[in-house]
Amino acid sequence: MLLFFVRRLSLFLFTMLLLTWFAFSLAHLFPGDPLINLTGQVNANPEQLIALGQQYHTEDHMIFQYFSYLEHIISGDLGLSMASQLPIASELANLLPATIELSIVALAIAMITGVPIGFVAAIYHKRKVDDVILTFSMIGYSIPIFWLGLLAVLIFSIELGWLPSAGQLSLIYEIDHVTGFLIIDILLSDNTYKWQAFADATAHIILPACVVALAPATIFIRLARTTMLEILETSYIKAAKAKGLSFRQIIYRHAVRNAMIQVVRHVGLQFASLMTLAMVTEVIFSWPGIGRWLIDSIYQRDYTAIQNGLLVLSIFIFIVHIITDLTYAGLNPLARERSYGS
Amino acid sequence: MNLLDIRNLSIELIGQKHDILAVDRVSLTMKEGEVRGLVGESGSGKSLLAQAIIGVLDESRWRVHADRFHWRGQDLLRLPIEERKAIISKDVAMIFQEPIACLDPTTTIGEQLEEAVPESMLYGFFWQKRQQRKKAVIKLLHRVGIKQHTMCINSYPHQLTEALCQRVMIAIALARRPILLIADEPTAAMESTNQGQIFRLLASLNQLKNMSILLISHDLENVTHWTHTITVMYSGQFVEAGTTKQIFTKPYHPYTQALLDSSPKANMHLPAKARLMTLPGSIPILQHLPIGCRLGPRCPRAQKQCVNAPKVKNYHGHQVSCHFSLKDLY
Repeated sequence: MLLFFVRRLSLFLFTMLLLTWFAFSLAHLFPGDPLINLTGQVNANPEQLIALGQQYHTEDHMIFQYFSYLEHIISGDLGLSMASQLPIASELANLLPATIELSIVALAIAMITGVPIGFVAAIYHKRKVDDVILTFSMIGYSIPIFWLGLLAVLIFSIELGWLPSAGQLSLIYEIDHVTGFLIIDILLSDNTYKWQAFADATAHIILPACVVALAPATIFIRLARTTMLEILETSYIKAAKAKGLSFRQIIYRHAVRNAMIQVVRHVGLQFASLMTLAMVTEVIFSWPGIGRWLIDSIYQRDYTAIQNGLLVLSIFIFIVHIITDLTYAGLNPLARERSYGS
Repeated sequence: MNLLDIRNLSIELIGQKHDILAVDRVSLTMKEGEVRGLVGESGSGKSLLAQAIIGVLDESRWRVHADRFHWRGQDLLRLPIEERKAIISKDVAMIFQEPIACLDPTTTIGEQLEEAVPESMLYGFFWQKRQQRKKAVIKLLHRVGIKQHTMCINSYPHQLTEALCQRVMIAIALARRPILLIADEPTAAMESTNQGQIFRLLASLNQLKNMSILLISHDLENVTHWTHTITVMYSGQFVEAGTTKQIFTKPYHPYTQALLDSSPKANMHLPAKARLMTLPGSIPILQHLPIGCRLGPRCPRAQKQCVNAPKVKNYHGHQVSCHFSLKDLY
């Protein structure tokens, strides 16, 4: 297991190198001066530019430029945003937790609803239940997310008035910024209105998280269904039947665990598309996350922000990949064993 | 009294346009303490027959009929399906080919053995039951000849060899103290030393515990050392049944004769590059089964009459299903 972890870590390091190389090359590919694209110093005078150029080794070979850029990234200096002239690192530190919160809640909703429904569909294969579930998952998958988001706001916020339509927390509550994750911050704070604030934050996250979760949930339904069908055909399920176990025991003890392993394997892949959906949803629900910020940066041609925002987002997605890989290995004894050639 | 008495069992594969009769009116009887070999080529429906007995065939795909299905004198066809399954799973156990594929890859051997130990053999509170389960598992492993039980209990199926896994499968089967063990090609894809070990284990279980065994195999030669009686099947039809000696020395059916002739013997005198004895053609596919006796197109003794399925004739317990049996030649 340790060896497996070390191997994943080394893979992570090399992917990071490639990603930073890609981000670095973006500065050269975007229009304008690469140095200004990298640092975001649009208002710098010629003397400051010369000093910056020395810091970034602009006169030297590309490789040295890259290493000096790496040095800056590792020390936490991501440059300034071209639009607001604020350090990007601090902006990301403020915005990224909100996105992580939204996407993780959405992923949890998608898995908690999607996977059991898929299992149910597989157990009732070729019967009415299966057909109904498949039809709904197909419809759910085909609905465009921005339309669904607007519809959800229209119905649940405006018509019924059950849930708030925008933002992360009502303005009447004041929560100290500790970790950046709002729900954790609320739980850490010792205000008198702690639980009211918690309820309010939960009410705010339900609608956007459900909208983000719909498409991944339908994918999980179909994934769970097909893997469960495969598992139910295998010889060890047949052998378990011959052993005299009841259907319930077979499903809970053998089928679910083996099917979950296959599903967990795909969670990392689905997470990337879930992040894209989360970005669109953030715009609709004015969620103060990285997605809205990144889309704004694209409109404003804030190259520094785009480049570093992409870098941080991809690192986050890659970390999620590694976590799902480790979970997969933890669940599956076969994956732990195979230490060579995989 | 017969342990198992099956008369005219048919298994149909439910198709899109029409159903296919995969097993055509096969009869099988077993006495207590008997080792019966069920022999046939691959695709002759012997595994299907075993799975139909144990009741693990997928009901949406297969349809099973029988004229008689008696288990220790009790007519199972009259019982509702739940009771039938309860009786069968209590008294009949099955081991399969490819033992590694039959063990859950993500669960340790110990856990899989523990869940096979039936609740009725335990007593007391749940913590006592857990201890008893652990003890029962170790005992079971010892009984199938695995001495390093802690190593075995803590490993996953892929960490053990094929033969060890088959022993574990036998241990799982023994957990319910079955009266009949169905062994579906237990030694397929195994080295011959391991094959011998498994067969010896089965034989000792038969002698010491008086457990009946239905041994399914495609290799007539291999099975004869271990069985008392043999049933031969061809393409889903009953061919011949009798004691091992009868089948081996005086086969009545041309197919059994051909099976025996096809296995080379050490004292055979064959000229160089001579052909070995085989039947012409190959086993028919399920979509194009011949009518009547399914051996007809390949049979050396076939005549016009063979388009009608022959009736089973019984000569002192030696049953044969052929219009032109070889009985008169002996």
